[in-house]
Amino acid sequence: MMAAAAETPEAAATGGPTSIQKLLFSNEFGLVVLVLLAFLVFGGMLPGYTSPFSLFAMGRQIGIDTMIGLAMMAVIVTGGLDLSVGAIGVSSAMAFGWLVEHQGLPLALAIPGALVFGGLLGAINGYAVVRSGVHSFIITLASMSIFFGVMIFLTKAEAFRGLPPEVAAFGRLRLATGTSVLLAVSLATCIALSVFYRFTILGRRMLAAGANARAAEVSGVRTGRVFVACHALTGALAAAAGLMLTARTGAAVPSMAGQLGQDWLLPAFLAPVLGGTLLSGGRVAVVGTLLGAAFVNVITSGLLQLRIGEFWIQACLGLMLLAAVLADRGRHLILRRRGLI
Amino acid sequence: MTNALLRFALPAVAATLISGAAAADSGTKVALVPGGPHPYFAAWEQAGKDAVKDFGLGAADYRVPQKWELATQSQLLESLLSQGYNSFLIFPGDAVGTTPVVQEIVDNGGQALALAGCLKDPTPALFCMGTDVGRSAYLGTKELIKAMGGKGRIAHFTGFLVDPNTQLRIDAVQKAADETNGAVKVVQVIADIDAPQPAEEKINAYLAAHGSEVDGIVTTAWVPAVTAANALRKIGDKRIKMVGIDHDQVVLQAIKDGFVNGTMLQNPYGQGYVGSYVLDKLRSGCTLKADAPWKSNALTKKFVDSGTVFVDASEVDTYVDAMRGITKTLKADFDKDFLSCK
Amino acid sequence: MGNRFTRAFDNDWIGPALVSLIAVVVISIFQPSFLSSFNILVLLSAIAVNMLIALGQLVIIAVGQMNLALGSIGGLVAISFAAMMELWHLPAPVAVLGGLAIGVAAGAASGFVIARTGISAFIITLAGLQIFKGINLGITEAQPFYGIPQVVKDFGNLAMAGPIPWLVLPMVLAALGMWALFNRLRIGRFILAIGGNRNAAELSGIDLNATVIWAHALSGLLAAIAGMMLVARLQIGHPAIGEDWLISSFAAPVIGGAVLSGGHVSVAGTFFGVVIIAIITQALVLFAIDPFVVQIVLGGLILWAVGINRLREVRVARARA
Repeated sequence: MMAAAAETPEAAATGGPTSIQKLLFSNEFGLVVLVLLAFLVFGGMLPGYTSPFSLFAMGRQIGIDTMIGLAMMAVIVTGGLDLSVGAIGVSSAMAFGWLVEHQGLPLALAIPGALVFGGLLGAINGYAVVRSGVHSFIITLASMSIFFGVMIFLTKAEAFRGLPPEVAAFGRLRLATGTSVLLAVSLATCIALSVFYRFTILGRRMLAAGANARAAEVSGVRTGRVFVACHALTGALAAAAGLMLTARTGAAVPSMAGQLGQDWLLPAFLAPVLGGTLLSGGRVAVVGTLLGAAFVNVITSGLLQLRIGEFWIQACLGLMLLAAVLADRGRHLILRRRGLI
Repeated sequence: MTNALLRFALPAVAATLISGAAAADSGTKVALVPGGPHPYFAAWEQAGKDAVKDFGLGAADYRVPQKWELATQSQLLESLLSQGYNSFLIFPGDAVGTTPVVQEIVDNGGQALALAGCLKDPTPALFCMGTDVGRSAYLGTKELIKAMGGKGRIAHFTGFLVDPNTQLRIDAVQKAADETNGAVKVVQVIADIDAPQPAEEKINAYLAAHGSEVDGIVTTAWVPAVTAANALRKIGDKRIKMVGIDHDQVVLQAIKDGFVNGTMLQNPYGQGYVGSYVLDKLRSGCTLKADAPWKSNALTKKFVDSGTVFVDASEVDTYVDAMRGITKTLKADFDKDFLSCK
Repeated sequence: MGNRFTRAFDNDWIGPALVSLIAVVVISIFQPSFLSSFNILVLLSAIAVNMLIALGQLVIIAVGQMNLALGSIGGLVAISFAAMMELWHLPAPVAVLGGLAIGVAAGAASGFVIARTGISAFIITLAGLQIFKGINLGITEAQPFYGIPQVVKDFGNLAMAGPIPWLVLPMVLAALGMWALFNRLRIGRFILAIGGNRNAAELSGIDLNATVIWAHALSGLLAAIAGMMLVARLQIGHPAIGEDWLISSFAAPVIGGAVLSGGHVSVAGTFFGVVIIAIITQALVLFAIDPFVVQIVLGGLILWAVGINRLREVRVARARA
């Protein structure tokens, strides 16, 4: 699936690149090649890498990281950022825990409840950004503190450990092919979002508003409302990621995203950026986000098993992010020079 | 470029060969995994190495998650399982949250013990071995009260709130104070300061504001013990009595110099050493006795105390021997009361 | 009539200074020991370190960017500083120079990549954050370095005179230096110009690349100083140094009137921002308030400060229109 963006006039004028060329030069294809390459290299070197358990664990982590990445992607569309995705994710997961353990709600109600909660927190961010006109970086820097602080204050930093066993069972569930059900959930979400951004009015308005807010405003799009909707979507997706982590852990733990939720920042940016979502907004690469998360996890699992020293993995991830953005910039330059984009 | 390739390829090939060889002689491969980086667990590394030497294990490796985060530890454990480790000594990142990954270890043919911190029952971990932190905090507070002359006000500095041991310690200190029927009160508990910067800020702020109103300090976590010892030394105070924990050289020196009254030693070395021993025995056909003298604590009914001892100025120089003595006793106890081998 | 009153607050630092004063007065009414010699020493030590951190971010805010790697540069320098003294037995002054060099190099590297590739500073410094933190972890394996020489420990803990700690010395020098930078030196004016209006700055002949690299190198230098001050104060080289700098590095400048899009900063305002944050953090311990309330208060402070800045911006725009 290609990134949803308008074709450039130059491409149309020169007859444009052929579909095959577009596919081969696309970010997604490059990522697929990289993921397969890394997988083959590590699989060849390490006996335990391709074991069913290893693949299952990797797939599960990819599922979780993809959802985190999708959450950030939804707000990058607006050209802004949301530093509070981790805080929203944890808070929603804790809300879920509270609903189930203290209010006795059945899972069928508590899960949508947590998603709505996350969406509300996101909407608060969106509203604050739109009304104040201040950059989303600083608004979400503040809201990250506030959401996390209130959550810790209310829960006294205690985890909800008495969740029904179905929750942990879901985290361990394997589908027929041996893949984690969490990966399947993320895959389904990717498909749903691709459809959303391409075929629904709201989705297309989000892209338009993100690409050029003034032009969109002039053509009748209520950009303010659209941006709030983007932030709400981010919040809901962050909540989904928090729920997935809760399923994997079997408990709603306040430290699941680190202090203030900042541990989610790297995967939240790495996956979409690797996948081709532009930070300037207006363009999403949904499947790219999944591929980006896949690439990061394939490499991380391999490095962990290679006993390079788990302490060097962070540095490697940073270098990967740097290499990804540089390569993307280089790729754009080359392709533009050749008139292919 | 070739250098890097060689550097990666050689260990990888070696690893493949070794794991192949390990499968051949089905050695016990132990992984000692703390909850995150922390000086307390440093002794596990040496304990593992000594266990390999003394008991002929396939491996006993100390692997540390990069940070105190549950997901990081779970990911490391899963990776170690994929790498062929079959016996795990784990300090749980969370008393309940680590159980699913332990279940996965057991489902895949491995075995695990909770070490230095317990998992909440029901759990597939075989049992939990660690300091009875409640008892240790209780005894330490009692020693502090003795040093204070039986009355006064105590401040309690302790560790991470996400550490399953912290609440046990808070309750134990309170219990010891309650037993004085009002003569001794716990006036403040500062938790979540098991890291240098917050410990420094909070402890100094506290001493600055309330230092004159408090008569004794009990610390039940490594970093606050070090920071409080330094703080008392900095303000030159010998009036406030203090009982610390663990064996950081700063604390031991402060005991010698009179700023700190004593410390509660734990036994990280013994935990790692005897833990590896027990797992190896269990893999080679021994079983746990059904009527073994398990203790209970707030989290689990299958608990073994790895030992604790109060050390004051007169015993400070021989503390290593004290710990070795406890370890020997622990192993002997296991052979006698817990393991039944044919 | 309301105008004359509110216009007094158009100056960046008056508001925060007043708030600091009121806070000190209120707190010392409830807790007289707040003004004790020891407590002032503790408070000034915290302010000194946090001011360096805030200044490190301030220079990047001035140029219209953000430096997420500030804390990790500080942490990397901190452990390197400790390692140089413990492992290589370098004398403290040499190790200090080494630490400064690392900070400048790390900052300049970030700045270079940002300037030459045109990729957003957010992403580049996010990558830098991971890389520097990763190198830190790789070297230390999460264990601190202990062998800090006595002279360094004394610098971090003893007082110059009365309740004023030695740590205040680097802070005063850095603050004066930064004030001079923005108000007297050409490079400072270039930085503000780029932050204010990038295109206009470029058209008026300012070398964008060189200035950005300078700004980031300076930011790295300030982070390095802060990291080494912390090693002196904590008396160990702990790899976790720098991990919690993100929020406060932005909060203080914002409270002090800095505009995030760049071009307008206030060193004095930042100072009082640091003071407010330090006082509040200490007060929460003094009154035994739930420690997590700190996070909420910091977040609220940022919003409040941003709101006020925004109101002023709007009022100025309206007055001009």
